[in-house]
Amino acid sequence: MNDTLPGAALLLDGRRDDEPTLGLAHDALVEGLAAGGWAVDDWRLRDDKIAWCAGCFKCWTTTPGMCAHHDDGREVAERWVRSDLIVFLTPVTFGGYSSELKKALDHVIPILLPYLRKRGEDTHHPQRYERERDLLVVGTVPAGQPDSAGARTFRRLVERNTLNMEPPRWATGVLEEGAGEWEVRVAVDALLAKVGVAPARDAVGVTTAQDKCDSDREGAVA
Amino acid sequence: MSAPQTALLLIGSPKPKESSSESLGAYLFEELAARGVKTQAVNVVKALRSDEATAALRAAVAASDLIVLSFPLYVDSLPAPVTLALEQIAVWNADAAGHRPAFVAICQSGFPEVEQNEIAIEICHNFADAAGFVWAGGLILAAGGMVGGQPLRKIKGMMRSAVSALDLTADALAAGQAVPEKAVVLMAKPAIPKIGYRFMANWGWRSQLKKEAGGTPLDARPYA
Repeated sequence: MNDTLPGAALLLDGRRDDEPTLGLAHDALVEGLAAGGWAVDDWRLRDDKIAWCAGCFKCWTTTPGMCAHHDDGREVAERWVRSDLIVFLTPVTFGGYSSELKKALDHVIPILLPYLRKRGEDTHHPQRYERERDLLVVGTVPAGQPDSAGARTFRRLVERNTLNMEPPRWATGVLEEGAGEWEVRVAVDALLAKVGVAPARDAVGVTTAQDKCDSDREGAVA
Repeated sequence: MSAPQTALLLIGSPKPKESSSESLGAYLFEELAARGVKTQAVNVVKALRSDEATAALRAAVAASDLIVLSFPLYVDSLPAPVTLALEQIAVWNADAAGHRPAFVAICQSGFPEVEQNEIAIEICHNFADAAGFVWAGGLILAAGGMVGGQPLRKIKGMMRSAVSALDLTADALAAGQAVPEKAVVLMAKPAIPKIGYRFMANWGWRSQLKKEAGGTPLDARPYA
């Protein structure tokens, strides 16, 4: 992604119900990205019929690069590939993603090649496309549990995802349910800044956001 | 944790057939049945497809002293339908005061490193705590492609470490104990060296592509 020009963002909204804090985070993300000039593909996954990935691997062998099944799940890889930034929005669910987010995420297999290659200590699948995309993950935990086992697992999961997805930049933030609009907005802006998005709306103190949201995880994958 | 009288196998693979997760779980449950435990198995995807099947799953969970979830790794964690099932089970069990079955997870993936599956097992542990179940341990089989959905008894020679791990696990669980560390270590032992596994897997993908893709290159980029 070019550091100076805005790009296209795919927001995978994994809310299961009306979850107020995630709703605030969603709005802050959409507004922040739009204010920075980004095109936002805002996908409320709950509203779409995405069949569960059947694990058939036909997207590797029969229709390489494309899900062999004809439903909204096929669109995941296409919309993913055409983005410069992927955003996950989810309630932290036992340390993982919600079933709504996961039903889409399971369909990203076609963006990888089936081959197994050694990279670092682990074996990974090579990327099918050269275009790279950054990753931003926002999750919520119950109030008072920012360091719960689930929150810790969640951060490790995102980190593990980055080893397989290879985003040049990534950041993850865990918000506590019940956080107010201002807190959420400050935290989201800090996270956006970490993946190179500079919202043009009213300036907020990025350092202040560290006090309001656990957004200390960021990185770059070699 | 006391010795279970009833055990439920949750088959977490979305594959309709030739599921390695089912192979592992089925072997363990045959061994549990041989040790006097009354067993039943439920396919998670099928259980979520109708209200009636979901109600049957709920009843099976409520009636079980031991629950074993056997699943494939999907994008570093659990497949979506398994996540949905766990979300529902946690809610159900909140209403079932005092029901604290033991919970065990078995995760397998095509990666040859056990470490790639550890977070998925951690998620299962967190689920058990959230649902009020008793966490009784997790097993990880790396290089799950070696099983290829075959019944474990058919490939016992090649998978002898995994078979020994499941035998030890059956002994422990039937006696009301957690998965022993020795079983965890045995299950994690690679059936073949990583380099050999990668070579075989890559050869397998190329052969399959030749048969199925009708000339489309394996590295096609349909959305470029």
